[in-house]
Amino acid sequence: MKILIVEDEEALSESMVQYLSREGFVCETAYSLDQAAEKIELYLYDAAIIDLTLPDGDGLSVIQKLKRITATTGIIIVSARKALEDKIRGLEIGSDDYLTKPFSLPELNARLKSLIRRRHFGGNNEIVFREIRVNPYSRQVFVSNRETHLSRKEYDLLLYFLSNIDAVLTKESIAEHLWGDYVDSADSLDMVYSHIKNLRKKLAGPSEAGYIQSVYGIGYKFRSL
Amino acid sequence: MKLLTKTSRTYFLVSLVVYLAASFVFYVIIRNVIYREIEDRLLLEKYDFVLFVQKWKHWSDENFFVENKIQVVPLKGGEISQQMVFKDTLMYESFEGEAMPFRQLTFQTFIDGKPHMVSIRKSMLEQITLIEVVTGTMMSFLGILLVCTFFIHRRLSKTIWLPFYDSLARIKSFDWTRQAGKGEEVTFPAGEIQEFNELNLALTRMTTQICHDYRSLREFTENASHEIQTPLALITARIEQMIQSENLSGEQLHWIQEIYHSSRRISRLLESLLLLSRIENKQFTDVAEGDLAASAEQKLGDFSDILKHKRIRVEKSLDQPFRLRISHALQDILLSNLLKNAIRHNHPDGVISLSSRNGVLEIRNTGPDLAVPAEVLFERFRKESGDKESLGLGLSIVRQICDCYDLRVSYLYEKPFHRVIIMPATRTPAAPEEHTPTPGTVNS
Repeated sequence: MKILIVEDEEALSESMVQYLSREGFVCETAYSLDQAAEKIELYLYDAAIIDLTLPDGDGLSVIQKLKRITATTGIIIVSARKALEDKIRGLEIGSDDYLTKPFSLPELNARLKSLIRRRHFGGNNEIVFREIRVNPYSRQVFVSNRETHLSRKEYDLLLYFLSNIDAVLTKESIAEHLWGDYVDSADSLDMVYSHIKNLRKKLAGPSEAGYIQSVYGIGYKFRSL
Repeated sequence: MKLLTKTSRTYFLVSLVVYLAASFVFYVIIRNVIYREIEDRLLLEKYDFVLFVQKWKHWSDENFFVENKIQVVPLKGGEISQQMVFKDTLMYESFEGEAMPFRQLTFQTFIDGKPHMVSIRKSMLEQITLIEVVTGTMMSFLGILLVCTFFIHRRLSKTIWLPFYDSLARIKSFDWTRQAGKGEEVTFPAGEIQEFNELNLALTRMTTQICHDYRSLREFTENASHEIQTPLALITARIEQMIQSENLSGEQLHWIQEIYHSSRRISRLLESLLLLSRIENKQFTDVAEGDLAASAEQKLGDFSDILKHKRIRVEKSLDQPFRLRISHALQDILLSNLLKNAIRHNHPDGVISLSSRNGVLEIRNTGPDLAVPAEVLFERFRKESGDKESLGLGLSIVRQICDCYDLRVSYLYEKPFHRVIIMPATRTPAAPEEHTPTPGTVNS
């Protein structure tokens, strides 16, 4: 999967490239509107991550151009603007998703994967990890070919983990993924803990500890080993 | 009082006084002239009379045929006074059959060596009619003139002040939040009156400045907070990469966790401050009519997970809707801040009750004792001392939003309930239930 990252803050761009490359994406970067325009003329991308505030103009023009050239390219806007009207404007112009800075890399990765699933497989391809099989279209989960019933949040949590296998996810990023802005207190971290406990019970793992490993003080990790 | 009413009224009163005074003075002058004329003639007749009695040594009424014209009365004693007296009198005139006004000159003289008092009279009938006609005509013309000038003045004032009223209307409808956003500027058409043109020029300069200041303030706060979010995004991203490393000690992880937590906190603070300034600058203009109570109920649904998790019981008594014209985004923020508070400062197995009746919306929740006076909670960065996570801006934002829409929000604490009450600011602050504690007090 080939991704274009349009972000003027070079270190942040590099950070995204590093994280997403680990997940198997081939990333190219553009630091300005001009560079982005040039790259989308020359190459075909499966998805693009676009910052709206670029030194030489508004990222929205890149989106319009991309939509004209290849309609299949999925677009995620990454912006510091959180206002609802900015989000609506971004979605209206043809982007598929909108993330506000500061965002979490696992979150970006999860959204990118979900976007690519929707774009290229009609959301119908199954996610398979060992004995766990998830059908994103019907939201069904099978463990060793037996259907396991997960609550809505447990399902979201599992999918978030499966999108970021072997990566440490902070408690905060998990809480934000599950409840968005609604919850930002100690309560939400509590809830993350209890959901993880339930999910662990429902997914039998290779060892006694299961797939989900706690990382001291920080968060959790879904282990492939 | 309106400008035109004021000038018209003043003009009218002054004109009336001038009119009355002028009429009076005119009457007096005319009357004096006519009296002087009559008196001169009476003096002439007196002279003729004296000559006559000196020559003929006697006076007889038969000498004169005009009725009441001359009256001679003999006086006792031998002395006469030289005094002459003019006076107005009424005499019966047989021709008209009624008493008529006369001017009379009375003097004393010797007729044939005997003292007599003589009164010579002249009818004033014609003269009085003359005075009346002249004064009346004069007053009518003056009156017509005054009425005409009054109306001309009114008409003129109206047209002259027209540009002023036009400018007034423009400045009244001037809305910098809307106009500055669109980059429009208020224009005032030039007229022929210099003062108004100067006024318009001053107004144009002021409104342009206001729009400019407003725009730059808005852009500054927005740009500043967005500029800060990017480095914060980098910090978060780098931390997330760093924690992927296997060989971090527990202590290092702990520090990283703290850095991560603080950077998220800064980001949330920035967001809240930006929101406050956006509300202050009235940047939310997309108002729509809605029912706050129904929205609150709906919003509570978004929190179902955490309500279930904390085993918080929800009681609802939404008897009447709470109708309000409000920006959708602000309504969302208002309710979510209030409900978040009600959940966060609640204890497990607690209660949240939502009620709406008689135009009063109340969110009540159980929770620990308040450590600070309730009213203080609306101040920025004021929070319950025990809560580390809270930014202390939630209720400030709530108050700011309420201020924008003329709502009064108050926080009451009656053990064990925390109550947030929202009502229109026009209502008297009576709590909706029978017991009414004073706002801002803590009962413990």
